[in-house]
Amino acid sequence: MRGLGWGGMILPLVVAQASPGQEPAADGMPVLSPVTWERLLNSDDEPHNWLMYHGALDGQRFSRLDQINRENVGRLELKWAHQIRQLDRNQTTPLVVDGVMFITESPSNVTAVDAATGRAYWRYEHPLPDGIRLCCGRNNRGVAILGETLYMSTNDAHLVAIDARSGSLLWDTEVADHTKGYSKTAAPLVVGDTVVTGIAGGEFGIRGFIDGYDAATGERRWRTYTVPGPGEPGNETWAGDSWRTGGAPTWLTGVYDPELDLIYWGAGNPAPDWNGDVRLGDNLYSSSVLALDRETGKIVWHFQFTPHDVWDWDAIQVPVLADVELNGELRKAMLWANRNAFYYLLDRGSGQFLFGEPFALQTWANGLDEDGRPILRENVFPTTEGTRVAPIAGGATNWWSPAYSPRTGFLYVNSFDAEGIYYQRDDEYEEGSIFLGGGHRMPLAADHYKSAIRAIEATTGEIRWEFPITPRTRSGVLATAGGLVWSASVDGYFFALDEETGEPLWRMSLGAAPHASPMSYAVGGEQRIVVAMGNVVFVFGLAEE
Amino acid sequence: MLLLVVFATGVAAEEVENPYSSAIDVRMGQRQFQSKCTSCHGVDATGGEEADGPDLTTGSFRHSTTDAGLFRVIRDGIEGTSMRGLRRAKDQEIWQLVTYLRTLSGAVDPASLPGSMGAGRVAFERLDCGRCHMVQGRGGRLGPDLSRVGDRRGPEELAEALTEPSAEVAPRWWTVRVTRADGTVVEGLRMGEDTFNLRIMDGEERLLSFAKTSLRSVERILESTMPTEPLSGEERDDLVAYLASLRGDDS
Ligand code: HEC
Ligand code: HEC
Repeated sequence: MRGLGWGGMILPLVVAQASPGQEPAADGMPVLSPVTWERLLNSDDEPHNWLMYHGALDGQRFSRLDQINRENVGRLELKWAHQIRQLDRNQTTPLVVDGVMFITESPSNVTAVDAATGRAYWRYEHPLPDGIRLCCGRNNRGVAILGETLYMSTNDAHLVAIDARSGSLLWDTEVADHTKGYSKTAAPLVVGDTVVTGIAGGEFGIRGFIDGYDAATGERRWRTYTVPGPGEPGNETWAGDSWRTGGAPTWLTGVYDPELDLIYWGAGNPAPDWNGDVRLGDNLYSSSVLALDRETGKIVWHFQFTPHDVWDWDAIQVPVLADVELNGELRKAMLWANRNAFYYLLDRGSGQFLFGEPFALQTWANGLDEDGRPILRENVFPTTEGTRVAPIAGGATNWWSPAYSPRTGFLYVNSFDAEGIYYQRDDEYEEGSIFLGGGHRMPLAADHYKSAIRAIEATTGEIRWEFPITPRTRSGVLATAGGLVWSASVDGYFFALDEETGEPLWRMSLGAAPHASPMSYAVGGEQRIVVAMGNVVFVFGLAEE
Repeated sequence: MLLLVVFATGVAAEEVENPYSSAIDVRMGQRQFQSKCTSCHGVDATGGEEADGPDLTTGSFRHSTTDAGLFRVIRDGIEGTSMRGLRRAKDQEIWQLVTYLRTLSGAVDPASLPGSMGAGRVAFERLDCGRCHMVQGRGGRLGPDLSRVGDRRGPEELAEALTEPSAEVAPRWWTVRVTRADGTVVEGLRMGEDTFNLRIMDGEERLLSFAKTSLRSVERILESTMPTEPLSGEERDDLVAYLASLRGDDS
């Protein structure tokens, strides 16, 4: 058998198997054992598992497995595939725990399969009522695990707990009323014994929030609104009663810093999306990142990327936590390539803006001021006739995970240099109905524009290389310690790039568009690379020599 | 209320006529479309950028040929896709959406146009348009199939296609000039381009595929290959009338 190394070292196989709290079975294959908070905190020590949506609490989507590397990636072959029964967008990042893979499926189902063979153990189907309000598809991006319990969001805005060994429902908590336009699509985040989770529905004029639930009982411990109510700081940034329908949804998974004991979460666009006249003001905390106290959920600091957003530029990206050297000083930083086309470096202890640079085509701001606030250009607001602005409403990037490699210090981001035409319109708010206040379209076909995976140097914002994609990508990125960066494109290719140069080293045409981010794990001492494309989860590994 | 019974039993739904088809219904349908459908189908209904809803302005629908069928698609959705039904909406609202969708294709009665269909057909043959265009299975492959162009395009668009063909050329009809590593050059229509490969149809209608890394250069020409010899006003009107009459049947 091959040795399995990580962090650049080649270690004997036995080490890879000896993760905390886990006895291998007689045949050397792992056995599912409880995922304690200790294990989640130290997920770096067991890189053969992928224990949470982002891989680790820091949101880096970096795998320490290096068996598949720049030299041998040409030997990659398909090991098995899992066909998802329900046709819809397939946004899953599976988890792998001790040889079992948990794959979420549209609309609100999850399957457990053997990570070695792809054959099923069980499947949980969540019953859904009619008339669910979703802006953008029946999505279900992933689960979280603590102990032997999986936590999953459902499209009818519930949070469910499912037994990881049998697929039995343990509890089912209504997070919000789906008939009012609330829904849930993102993997929750386990922090200690709390399940932290957000909400979707920004296109329906909901009032966004982030919740913490007791992992054992499903009882709510705290709720932090992303749109402050009367008397709360920030409420004055909403004209009149506009805060009531302010949006600022939280439809992606946040991250956690154990040392600072802070949870970080992004908030989406204010509602209505394109008509800012009915909600004058900065509209806190829409299009912002929030730092929350773990125990109470209280807001410790916030940073707003796009004040008074009238373009639909949700700050729904992964807050990537990394310790970087800036001007000779070690900084606990947060790296953020935003939908608004700027890359930001923040101090994650204080929320202080360190610097920001565009990483993609933008025509809306003459840069950022010293506090990180955009310096707006003239005539960039939507109008009834339409205003041309870059990036598009879908953004210079979107929710698809970026990856950060501590080996290179680069943040790998999928990016799109395109412009959109933004329209403003008067819309009446009606509970449970779409509330957009305008519209958006691209004046030309996607083929006219440029899309690329870009390597942004974290400490300077410089683009160190780019890998152009035709016509574009809607995939997240994974970086692995074998020196590889993995992503996919809407033309149906899955590919591996050299982390230092962006040179394509391997590719395969899988024939359908991705809507998810790749991940990596190992089973039986062999590294696997996973990507969801079309309605299939594909699992790759090295062919025998 | 007879209508509802007919639907409930699914009998002869094809014969049911849309009871809400006035100009006001078009406006009501448009309002609904703006609030419920644009997130996937785009504000101008030509297809969504982010959410994969198809273009609804082509005048033909894959899932139905009748108004009653469209009603069902909108009410019930399309199983296994993100197109969900409007189960809670009133019948009237759904009919108004159907009415609105029917206005989007720009199709008109060709007899109401100034030109002559018959003369247009003759001009089409004389000018050898069929060298590049198929109609009802006959003709060339170096331009779009025009068998249903009357469904897809209104008279103004058809006239523009003839007089200003390069105004807006879809990526499928761009020309690419490919220079191989040995310096030889091939040109053709861009049938497909992705991150790693390029597929074209050359002037002899051959299908060719290239790995981009094996090429010295690839140049995109965004102009139309339609000939630009000027047409007389009459010829243009006749051609527009003929093209507007092309609806996929043999008439
Ligand atoms: C969540 C995204 C979404 C929304 C919202 C949506 N659609 Fe669709 N629609 C789709 C998709 C995807 C298809 C294509 C399904 C297929 O055939 O694969 C479709 C197909 C259709 C079709 C059939 C097209 C054909 O060629 O037969 C019609 C008609 C239609 N939609 C009308 C509407 C109307 C009217 C609304 C608003 C009430 C609407 N849609 C809202 C995603 C959406
Ligand atoms: C040398 C090949 C060629 C010839 C000859 C030619 N066309 Fe075209 N035609 C094209 C191509 C390529 C396009 C698509 C690009 C564009 O939009 O112009 C096109 C587009 C069109 C369209 C628009 C179709 C659509 O789906 O929007 C119409 C209508 C049309 N041609 C009519 C004619 C007529 C009438 C003639 C004869 C007078 C003619 N063409 C001769 C190549 C040709």
